[in-house]
Amino acid sequence: MNSASEIFSKLQHIDRRYIFLFIGMAAFLPLIFPLGLPLGVTPSSEDLFNAVENLEEGSVVMLTFDYYPSTLPETEPMSYAALRHLFRKNIRVITLTTIPLGALSVMEGVVKNVAREYNKEYGTDYVNLGYKYGYVAVMLGMGRKISDIFPRDNYDNKLEDLPLMQEVKNYDDVDFLFVVSDNATVDYWVSLVNAQFGLPMGAGVTAVMAPKCYSFLQTGQMVGLLGGMKGAAEYEKLTQNQGRATRGMDPQSIIHLLIIAFIILGNIGYFVSKR
Amino acid sequence: MRTQLPVAIAFLSGFIMVIAFFVPESNLENFSQNLLTFVTIVGGFTLLLGIVSILRANIQVVKKRGKEWGFKLLLILTLLIMSISSFIWGTHEGTVYHWMFQNMQAPMMSTMFSLLAFFIASAAYRAFRARTKEATILLITSVIVMLGRIPLGQFLWSRLPEYTDWIMAYPNLAVQRGIIIGAALGAAAMSLRIILGIERTYMGRG
Repeated sequence: MNSASEIFSKLQHIDRRYIFLFIGMAAFLPLIFPLGLPLGVTPSSEDLFNAVENLEEGSVVMLTFDYYPSTLPETEPMSYAALRHLFRKNIRVITLTTIPLGALSVMEGVVKNVAREYNKEYGTDYVNLGYKYGYVAVMLGMGRKISDIFPRDNYDNKLEDLPLMQEVKNYDDVDFLFVVSDNATVDYWVSLVNAQFGLPMGAGVTAVMAPKCYSFLQTGQMVGLLGGMKGAAEYEKLTQNQGRATRGMDPQSIIHLLIIAFIILGNIGYFVSKR
Repeated sequence: MRTQLPVAIAFLSGFIMVIAFFVPESNLENFSQNLLTFVTIVGGFTLLLGIVSILRANIQVVKKRGKEWGFKLLLILTLLIMSISSFIWGTHEGTVYHWMFQNMQAPMMSTMFSLLAFFIASAAYRAFRARTKEATILLITSVIVMLGRIPLGQFLWSRLPEYTDWIMAYPNLAVQRGIIIGAALGAAAMSLRIILGIERTYMGRG
């Protein structure tokens, strides 16, 4: 075997430790030396932004934190961006989660931080309903009466004692549903809440879920969609509040490029060796 | 009786929920709403049952010094520490539970998930070979989507995101819709089988 064919053969069998090393560097270095690549906005993100932007001051939005801590880098920036947008527009927010593992702690942190930034008052400007088991029952039950499912909020206050919840009895009193999710609950928000109660909704989902959610977008069941970290970065850009997702775009760009480069190398090796 | 009673409960609950959806009658709606509240309460107990079950299974392995008993012990200890601290001091900001969640559990879970990037890169390099016509189409499509979903792709060619969106909105959706409709029909059929008592595997037997 001559040296050229040996090289092409090796291209097909690069040790995966080198691949891991390159991916690690591609993730790490752009965080230290940001590239600041220009970020475009996809129509689906812009539609979601516009739907929230067009809500009147004092409207009520239900914001869900339906994700596990494992997907925090993708989903948490969406929650931050959405909540900042809502509070900036003086929209009242009801938050809840249908996920038992960790989402409650994440939600508490995000809501408290952003409420502090915008000087919002608990009970009047926002309410945190917390977590309740059984997302199908929760979603359906809130359609008739929220206090049947959540008699008390996350901090053990009776719902009837909270000024915001005195006005909001069920989905009829909610103007928009903003779901941030990393799992199939988003399908149920569409099929149970949007379809049965007619509540307009948009969602922020992880990149692997986005291809499925495009179908809800095209049918008009969702007014807008944020797909993965890029969707979060786009929403940060639209709300002029650039944060973690925007910073994450550089590593993501380099990693995608690196994966493509490895695929091309592997194929060059494959075709040349075949000849 | 052990079989008939759960089947009868499943039939009545399912039947009432279906009727309540189609017939807007207040008594029926009240009843169905109570059923939904009941589900959330019973669900709370199933979470408890899950914790008891995981403790029992792992304590047995630790007692017998079974396979990987050290990890099981770690699981039991962390479960107890998180639970007890949350009962004593609560789960709000500033508590021990919150600190452990923010600084231990969340980073560990994110780390596990982020390892996917390394394995996906390695797997993509090995699997994406243009061996056949179909594989070539898949390869080209994936490269377009991967580039179109990052700022660098747009930087290289401004129209690339348009092509990515087209792929997502048409070829992708043709497949996705088929899957969604198929899964929904399957779920409807399964629900009907449970309501009618044909499907009994939820009771732990066929």
